[in-house]
Amino acid sequence: MAEITAPEDRRRLVTLLSPAYLWLTLAVFLPLSAMLFFSFLTDLPQDAPDWGFTLENYLSFGESEVYATLLWKSLKLGVTVTFFCILIGYPCALVLARTIKGRARETLFLLVILPFWSNSLVRIFSWAIVLRGNGVLERGLEAVLPWDIRLNLMFTTHAVVIGLVHSYLPYVILTSYLALQAIDDDIVDAARSMGASTLTILRRLLLPLSLPGLLAGAVLVFVPVVGSFMEPRILGGRHGTYYGTVIEDQFVAVYNWPLGAALSFVLLAVVLLILGLSTPILRRART
Amino acid sequence: MRRPLLPLLGRAWLALILVFLYAPILVMAAMSFNASPFYQLPFEFSTRWYADMAMNPQIIEASLRSVGIALATMVIATALGTAASIALFRYDFPGKRVLQVLLFPPIAIPWLITGTAMLIFFFAIGIGRGTPAVLIGHVALALPYVIVTVSARLSSFDVTLEEAARALGADAWTVLRRVTLPWIAPGIVAGALFAFAVSFDQFVVSYFLAEPGDSTLPVLIYTAIRKGFTPEINAISTIIITVSMGIMFLATRKSSFGGSR
Amino acid sequence: MKTLLLTSAVALAASGAVADEIRVLNWQGYGTDLDWAVDAFAEATGHTVVHEYFNSEQEMLTKLRTNPGAYDVVMINAAFTPQAISEELISPIDTATLENFAGIPASFAEDPKLNADGQTYGVPWTWGLTSFAINTEAWDDTPTSILALWDEAHAGRVSIRDDAVEAMQLGALATGQDINDIRDLDAAAAKIAELLPNLRTFWSSENDWNQFMAAGELDAATYWSGSASRSAALGLPVQFVIPEEGAVGWLDGLSIPATSEHKDAALQFIDHMIDPDFYVKWDAEGAPASANAEAADALPDDAFNKAVLGDPEVAARVHFQAPIDDETREKYLEVWQGLKASQ
Repeated sequence: MAEITAPEDRRRLVTLLSPAYLWLTLAVFLPLSAMLFFSFLTDLPQDAPDWGFTLENYLSFGESEVYATLLWKSLKLGVTVTFFCILIGYPCALVLARTIKGRARETLFLLVILPFWSNSLVRIFSWAIVLRGNGVLERGLEAVLPWDIRLNLMFTTHAVVIGLVHSYLPYVILTSYLALQAIDDDIVDAARSMGASTLTILRRLLLPLSLPGLLAGAVLVFVPVVGSFMEPRILGGRHGTYYGTVIEDQFVAVYNWPLGAALSFVLLAVVLLILGLSTPILRRART
Repeated sequence: MRRPLLPLLGRAWLALILVFLYAPILVMAAMSFNASPFYQLPFEFSTRWYADMAMNPQIIEASLRSVGIALATMVIATALGTAASIALFRYDFPGKRVLQVLLFPPIAIPWLITGTAMLIFFFAIGIGRGTPAVLIGHVALALPYVIVTVSARLSSFDVTLEEAARALGADAWTVLRRVTLPWIAPGIVAGALFAFAVSFDQFVVSYFLAEPGDSTLPVLIYTAIRKGFTPEINAISTIIITVSMGIMFLATRKSSFGGSR
Repeated sequence: MKTLLLTSAVALAASGAVADEIRVLNWQGYGTDLDWAVDAFAEATGHTVVHEYFNSEQEMLTKLRTNPGAYDVVMINAAFTPQAISEELISPIDTATLENFAGIPASFAEDPKLNADGQTYGVPWTWGLTSFAINTEAWDDTPTSILALWDEAHAGRVSIRDDAVEAMQLGALATGQDINDIRDLDAAAAKIAELLPNLRTFWSSENDWNQFMAAGELDAATYWSGSASRSAALGLPVQFVIPEEGAVGWLDGLSIPATSEHKDAALQFIDHMIDPDFYVKWDAEGAPASANAEAADALPDDAFNKAVLGDPEVAARVHFQAPIDDETREKYLEVWQGLKASQ
C-alpha cells in the first residue's frame, strides 16, 4: 500500500474512486442526509407549514420500552442468523475452495448464488409452503418415517431464522471462498510436511488467512438482517414483530416519516457502534 | 497421501447445503405446475399457469424490463465498484476510513427508507421518475455489495506481484490488465452476480421511481399480493431461473473465473 | 361502410374528440383494472387506461402529493377524503355530467366526508364491511358473536390483520364501545391482548388470507366483505359473518386529482365505473357492495351483496368509519406495537 506522493498517483486515485462515490453521493448519501434532516422535524415541510425542529423523535426511542426491546430482539436475531450462516457456510467454502477442482468448482460457485436470482417474496412464500402444518416438509418426513410428525415450525422464530439464513447464506459462502481460494497451496503443503494436523492447519493457517473474507460475509449478513421486516412478518406470525417491522409501520401505516427516519438512524448508529467495537477485538484475534 | 474420509464428508456437507439452498426453488418450480391457485397440496399436475402467463403481456414485459435493468446495473456497478475497490486497496489517503464506513448506511438502513429518501430527493432536484431514475437507484444500492466483495478478494492480493511486474517494465495499465484483474476475477464475478441479484429483487426503489405502466417484476409481485398472486409468478420465475442456469453453465465452459493457483 | 365510419367519427367528436390515456391510482385487482371493463371503456369512448397501484392509503396520499399531473382518477377510502380535500389534492366534480349518478342514494351521495362547501369531491363507488369470515368446514353452526374469535375451541386457528386501526376497532366492538370514539382504549387493548395467544398468525393481504385458509391453517379470521365474496367465488369454503355486536363499514369513492390534465376522460371513466351493467358483471367475480342502488337492485336475488348487505336489519348493525386524525392513528399504532412486541 502506498502513501500518495506523486501527482500521477493522486490523479489515478481520483479517477478510480470518484465515479463510484459520486454516484453514491447523488443516489444515497444526499437523499439519506435529507432523511436525517427530517428525523429532527416535527412534521414534513411539504405537509405542514408549521413544522419545526425537535429531538422528540429520538427521545421517544428512550421513552417507550417497545423500541429498545425490539431492537435488542433484532440484534439477537442478527447474531443468530450470522452464527448459523458462518457455521453452515464456512465449511462449504472450505470444501469448495480446497478440495474441489476444475470445472466442477466453477459450476458449484454459480449454483450457490443462482437461488438469489429469484424474487425474495416468492422464495419466502415457498418457504411457507415447505414449513407450514401439513406442508412439504411434514409430508416428506411422514413418507420416510413411520410415525406422525408435527413440527409446527411455521409462524415461529425458527421459521424466521431458517428463511433469513437461506437468504443470506450465499454471501458468507462466496466471500469466504474468495479468501480461502487465494491461499497458496505451497504454504499448506509446507505446514503439512512439518507434521501439522488438519485441525492445526485449519486453526492456525486457513482460518486467520481467510478471516477478512469471512468477516466481509458476516457483515453483509448481520447488517441487513437487523433491519429486515419481510421474512419476520410472513414467516414469524405473531412472533414476527421486530425493529424493522416497527420502522416499516411508521412509514407505511401512519406516515410518520420523522419518527421512522429517527428509528432508522438509531439502528444505523447501533450497528456501526457494534462493528466499530468488534474491529479491534477481531484484529487482535488475527495476530 | 490424502485421507479420503474428510474430503468425502466435506462433499456430503456441500451437497446437503445445496439441497437446502434449492429447496424453496424446487418448491417454487413445483408449484408452477400445481393446479391449485392457492398453492394447495396435494400436488395436481397442470400447465395452465404457463398458458396464462404466456397470454399475459404485462408479466412478460415487466420481466424483460427487470432483466434489462438488472443487466445494466450489473455492468455499471461492477465497473465502478471494482475501480473503487482497487483505489481503496492500493492507496493510503486521509479520509479513507470514512469512505469505507460510508458503505454501510446503504446496507444497514432498510431499503424502504432509502427508497423513500430517493423519491423525495430525485423530485427535489428534478430527476423525477422513470427508468433512468430506477437505474441510478439500483446501481447505488448494488455498489456497496460489489465493493465489499471485491475488497474481500483484494485483501489477500500480494502487492509484490504488481511491483515485480512493474520492475520488469510493464506500465500501470498492463499491470492492471495482466496481473491485478486476473487475480481478483473471482471477486469481480461474485460482485457482479450479487449486483444482478440486488437489482433483480429490488422492489422499493422501482416501486417509487418507475413510471406507471412501466413496472418491473418485483413491483408486479409486490402489488399483486394484496389481491393474491397466482402461480403465474412461479411460472415466470421458473423460466428465468432455468434460462439463467443455462447461460451460466455455458459461461463456465468458456472461461474460468473460480480463480487459478 | 362510409356511414359507419361517419357515425363513429361523429361519436368520437361527441365524446371529446381526442382519445386520451388516463391514469388510475387504485389498489390492484379492485374493479378499475378488470380487463373486460377497461376494454369496454376503450371501445365506448376511445380512451385507454393505465394503472398504478398503492398498498396503503398513506402511500396513495404520498403519491398524489409527490406526483402532480401523474393521475387522472384516484380511488380514496372516504375516511381519507377529507384529508385529501383539505390538502387540495383533489378537485370538485360536476355530478350533473355523470349519467349514472342519479342511482346513488342521498345517504351516500351527501356523505359529509365526500362533500365540502357544497361541492362533491368523491363519487361514492363501493362500500363494504370489515368483520370476520369462517371456514365453514370448521364450525357446526355459524357463530353470531364476535367473541367467536376468542373461542377456546378454536385456539391457535384464528387470525386478524396486522393493522393498528382494525385491531383497536375490533377491541372496541368486543367491549361494546363506539368504534369512532373509543373512550376506554385500555379496555379495548386488554381485550386484544387476550386474543393474541389465540392467533395462528397475522395476515396482511388477501393473498395471505386465501393461502392460509386454503392450507387449512385457519378456522376464522377478520376479513373484508368484498374480499370474502371473491374468496368464495374462487371456491374456498368461506362464509362472511356480521355478528350481533356489529361490523365496521367503509365507503370507497372515486375522485379526480386537482392536477389531472384529462378531467373529461376521467369523468367518463367514473361514470363507467358506477354503471349498473359494469357492477353486475363485476359482482359475479366477487366484488364489494355497490354504492349505486340501481346496481344493487340489478343483482340476482341470492347475491351476498343484495341478500345480506341489502337487509335493513343488517344495515342497522353497520358502524360507518369516521376519519381518524393523525394523533389517534399514532396512538393506536403505539398501543398495537406494544401488544405485538410483548409476544
